[in-house]
Amino acid sequence: MSLPAAAARPAWLFAGRRRLDPIRVASLAACALAAAFLAGLVGLLAVQSLPAWRHEGVAGFLAGGRWFFRARTFGALPMIYGTVAVSAVALVLAVPVGLGAALFASEVLPPRARLALKTVIELLAGVPSVVYGLLGVLLLRDWMYRLLSPFDPLSGDTLLTAGVLLAVMILPTVTTFSEDALRGVAGAQRRAARGLGLTRGTTALRVVLPQALPGLAAAALLALGRALGETIAVFLVIGRRDNQLPESWLSAEPLIKTTQAGQTLTTKLGGSETFLAWGDPLHWAAIAGLGLVLLALVGAVTLVGALLVRKGAGHAARS
Amino acid sequence: MAGRRTGRSRAALALAAPLGLVLGLALILAACGAPDGAGTGAAVLRVNGSTTVNPVVSRAAELLRAERGLEITVDTQGGSSGGLAALGEGRVEVAMSSRPVNQHDHDAYPEVDFRPVQIGVDAVALVVSRDVWEGGVHALTRDQMQAIYESRVSNWSELGGPHVPIAFFNKEPGRGTWEVFAKWLYGDPDEAPLVSHLEVGSNEEGRTKVASTPGAVTQLSFAWADGETVFPLAVDSAEGEVVPPTPETVAAGRYPISRQLLVVTDGEPTGTAAELIDYLVGPEGQKLVEEAGYLSLGEADGAMETAGGAVGEEAPAS
Repeated sequence: MSLPAAAARPAWLFAGRRRLDPIRVASLAACALAAAFLAGLVGLLAVQSLPAWRHEGVAGFLAGGRWFFRARTFGALPMIYGTVAVSAVALVLAVPVGLGAALFASEVLPPRARLALKTVIELLAGVPSVVYGLLGVLLLRDWMYRLLSPFDPLSGDTLLTAGVLLAVMILPTVTTFSEDALRGVAGAQRRAARGLGLTRGTTALRVVLPQALPGLAAAALLALGRALGETIAVFLVIGRRDNQLPESWLSAEPLIKTTQAGQTLTTKLGGSETFLAWGDPLHWAAIAGLGLVLLALVGAVTLVGALLVRKGAGHAARS
Repeated sequence: MAGRRTGRSRAALALAAPLGLVLGLALILAACGAPDGAGTGAAVLRVNGSTTVNPVVSRAAELLRAERGLEITVDTQGGSSGGLAALGEGRVEVAMSSRPVNQHDHDAYPEVDFRPVQIGVDAVALVVSRDVWEGGVHALTRDQMQAIYESRVSNWSELGGPHVPIAFFNKEPGRGTWEVFAKWLYGDPDEAPLVSHLEVGSNEEGRTKVASTPGAVTQLSFAWADGETVFPLAVDSAEGEVVPPTPETVAAGRYPISRQLLVVTDGEPTGTAAELIDYLVGPEGQKLVEEAGYLSLGEADGAMETAGGAVGEEAPAS
């Protein structure tokens, strides 16, 4: 009697042969709840956005270049381009600086100074985004307007302005996770390299950096996740101009276009159109579709980042 | 048997504990998220909507709190349409709107009995930045504004101004200001051509961005057009009459882009809502309307016609 019963019930929930382990059951429940929230969210957005996918077709919605809700035309590509462009600018600016700061903190600073620096950086990561947005409106818009004057932007609200602001915002994230990745490389490796007569700099660049690479990539991706989802700060400095697409993708156009105003998925969702859309099934579906696209982008980036963190941890453990 | 039963009850406890925790947290969050919530027992009145109407209602709420101990929270999420949507969904008791309740609202919330009450009159000014004003642009005709809106002109020099590109900041859709502007420009907001401009939301944002951008122009409530950081243009009518947006021209109905300022309830207002609305249309409230730079109901008799027929209702678009 006991044998088939034991096979039917999951052994990992039990502490002894008969007793359910309360901690394992509780954590299972918590996991199930978290997973259910995510599944519910994705499911809800998918179902609510269905009319838009039907109306435009999947390719039409994702690759369509025109969004005019009064004309019932919903193409998300300009906003996807805006999101990608702004995030790319942010990464290109923040990763080298963050990595440099992390190398300095991890390989050069004495432990006490390192901790102080890390505390300050992590405090910076906690500054609410609306504060960065205000700084952006007060300072960055004017600076960018003057800087970009050769490109004749209409105002200081450009994709580039938003990207620079985002770079400042994600810099602490990049720095602190990169530093963690570098510290994860075993000290024995450093000592061995130094023992072989390598300089401190060569050790950092040739021994520590390559081993920390998966962790560093993960740091960049986690920061990218934040950049993709950021709304308020970007909202104030991007111009929120719809339907801005480069005329040709295989040229410098996609780069030059960043000196003009644009729109991202988040700034569209944060605007007043969301309020107008409610009550109009197709318009609402299109808005929900944008949410789904954003969720998929952030989810994919986070997933790859998490995988890399695991790989990095495995790497560090092996060495 | 006994051992198994304890196992089960422990498991039940283990399952119940995190769920209880989550539920408890959810309740706390719900309570925090809605300090104005109806569930808290205290009669808190929630108001949301137009940033144009907001200064008057916020001030009234402050005074009513001090004088009569009424609890009123005022928010401006999503402008007029955001306020009407919140009213439609029952998230607030009073909506502030600077555009009439229209057919789209009735279609979206067929159950809701929108009851608009007019508390004053506002005009929409076309404001420009200092360099444009000092470059000699002091008035625009409707045709010129249409040309800007449709991007048929791109430099102020084409309109007799300085050689600066026109940076047109359009009010985002759903804002009462935009609806009134589009109605003036094209007869019906639904007839406005499909364009993509730089966008601004609240009055503060519009004013800040125009003041800090060369060649800028936007639509702004005339109470916010201070003449120091941003400069209101006169409207040049077809008959050659140049009308600046001033309290006198708006009151006389000569300035063409004006509108009713509304507070809207679902059905007949009761309780705190009724008290707030009575205060707003009463002498103290009307003084607040004037202090905010708008026209009170008494001043604005002539403007009623321009602001459109019945109070706060728009005929269904044909």
